[in-house]
Amino acid sequence: MNLQVLESQFWSLCLQGVALGFIYVLISLGYTMVYGVLRLINFANSEVFMVGTFATVVAQVGILQNQTNSQSLHGFRLIYTLLFALVFSMLICGFLGILVELVAYRRLRSLGNNRLASLISAIAVSIVLLETTRIITYSRPQTSPRLLDKWSFGEFAGANFRIDTVMVIVSGVVIFFTLDRFVTKTRLGKAIRAVSMSEEISKLMGINLNRVVALTFFIGGLTTGAAAFFYTTVYETTQFNVGFNLGLAAFTTAVLGGIGNLRGAFYGGIFLGVLEQFASAILGSQWKSVTVFTVLVLVLLLKPNGIFGEAVQQTRT
Amino acid sequence: MNSKIQRSLAVVSAAALVFGVSAVSPAMASKHKTIYLAFQAPLTGSNALTGQDELTAARFALSEYNATNPAIKVELVIADDQGLAEVAAVVAPGIASNKKIIGLIGPAFSGATQASLPAYKATGLPLISMSATRVSLTDRKAPVNGFPIFKRVVANDKFQGPALARYATKGIASPSVYLVDDKTAYGKGLADYTKPSVLKIATLAGSDSVPENTSDYTSVVAKVKASGANVVIYCGYAPDAAKFVKALRDGGYTGIFAAGDGVLKATFPNNAGNTAAEGARLTAADVPFEDVATAAQMVAYTKLTGIKIPGSYVTSTYNATNIFLTCIKQGVTTRPGMQNCVTAGSFKGIAGDTIRFDRYGDIIGGAAVGAFTIKAGKITYLGVA
Repeated sequence: MNLQVLESQFWSLCLQGVALGFIYVLISLGYTMVYGVLRLINFANSEVFMVGTFATVVAQVGILQNQTNSQSLHGFRLIYTLLFALVFSMLICGFLGILVELVAYRRLRSLGNNRLASLISAIAVSIVLLETTRIITYSRPQTSPRLLDKWSFGEFAGANFRIDTVMVIVSGVVIFFTLDRFVTKTRLGKAIRAVSMSEEISKLMGINLNRVVALTFFIGGLTTGAAAFFYTTVYETTQFNVGFNLGLAAFTTAVLGGIGNLRGAFYGGIFLGVLEQFASAILGSQWKSVTVFTVLVLVLLLKPNGIFGEAVQQTRT
Repeated sequence: MNSKIQRSLAVVSAAALVFGVSAVSPAMASKHKTIYLAFQAPLTGSNALTGQDELTAARFALSEYNATNPAIKVELVIADDQGLAEVAAVVAPGIASNKKIIGLIGPAFSGATQASLPAYKATGLPLISMSATRVSLTDRKAPVNGFPIFKRVVANDKFQGPALARYATKGIASPSVYLVDDKTAYGKGLADYTKPSVLKIATLAGSDSVPENTSDYTSVVAKVKASGANVVIYCGYAPDAAKFVKALRDGGYTGIFAAGDGVLKATFPNNAGNTAAEGARLTAADVPFEDVATAAQMVAYTKLTGIKIPGSYVTSTYNATNIFLTCIKQGVTTRPGMQNCVTAGSFKGIAGDTIRFDRYGDIIGGAAVGAFTIKAGKITYLGVA
């Protein structure tokens, strides 16, 4: 056990944990939105994330013609490039989400309520995406150019407020609260919540179920695409199997906070990010998963619906 | 999330290996006599990069051989063990029971090799691994060793570990080392053989085992900084090393970064960002293929594989394949014949080196461990570590 690291790195670990947590939050929204509506786990979401990371690289390198060893950008060009890559990744993932719904869920849903079949078809889509990307990329990692120079706003008690760290946190907060407001305040958001509460009654009330489900997958894809953009911008690399660990962490986040619950995903993600950082630093990285899943089991033993599963039921998607 | 399904698919693959050779190989119908070599490595899953790189080398060596229009054609039977022991244990019996296969290039990973050995030993199938470096595989006293069928054309960790420690700390006043492995059989094994040498010649500031495919290394960077280490030794593979060194440099670490042969990949400097990787110290028994192949071979390799920069263990896989092919050229067509030829023979590596195996499967004299560094974004060979 290495407690010495806390003396100089406590706030650094907190900051990095929160930043990592926001990436988890954004991916986990893809799981939690779908679960909230269909009561099914979208196992293809981890691969939607993976595709988003490649979409970001394609936008930056293929479309906007930045070289992998190019200099960092500044001013309007930087903002334009980052925004373009963000929107491109979000849209690709959003539409991929709709495609996943069409291929893996809709037909099976229309034929009956066979949840296992939907689960397997989602895993099948996941494998197809994973292996196709592996073949296309020759299994090689793809590097994203360092377009954003990683300057720092300054240090506080050893925590380095680097631009990419701050960007992930601020953008994560903005995206989350925009989504939260959308779900709670808009007509479409209310339709999603209505389907989440009862499919049958929603249909009787004139809600187009297929459209709402597709919209849910689209929104889940958008947030996952945003996570993919931030991941690629911070870590500057991706690989065909990048979705596995991140997807597992995001799924854990969703369960920890209370799957189907937006705010649960929010707090769960931040909690998991910080917990991972401290577990790795104090106990060693080899104990990270043991710690995280021990905590998950303990939480579920005490609160089977996750930390916020019951408390914020009103905001469930 | 899909690893269980992938493992289940391995069972299906194993069945295909037993029954499927004639079905998948049009060469069977030709007038030439055809002999089969198997290739076993991770071709899907999280370790696919290593296996896919190695497969390019085996295919290239075979294409060169078959282009000479030999009397005996050679075909490759490809087996995917995902680099996992549990998958290898399912796949290996399928290859072993296929009597048309007279030699196996691989397995690539040490854990997978260990799990495969019972099936191959039982049927006397000679193996030449291009990248399994675990010491116990050629240790006669180890409970599971590869004697007599297992050979390898790569230096084992007993040689590379001390060389890595020496090279990493060379020229550093008061070296203080932080040792990190990736928890794989390869990474952990190399770290275990590096640590005693580190303790002899430097101070061990700390150590950590960070699982392969980790995205975020900031907690490790925090520990390295808190420990005051001026040398970081990483025992793992290139994709993770690239992320780690980048995180170290972004986190303000300015000391030495050193790593073993798993990182010696031409794509490493680019993936790490040339600035982050600059000056990194790397050791390897495997020389980059582009450094030893002729220009014509490189053109042919790229044409065949579509890859411009060969990955890791390409040279060793090429050598392993050519050892089998040399024996086949000498008229070997059976497993016992191949076992005798590989055990007693003397072979030329692509770098002009002589390859002969000792009784337990390692190269006689030990494969030399080379020292490399990154200069101006390129891997540069400096000499023996």
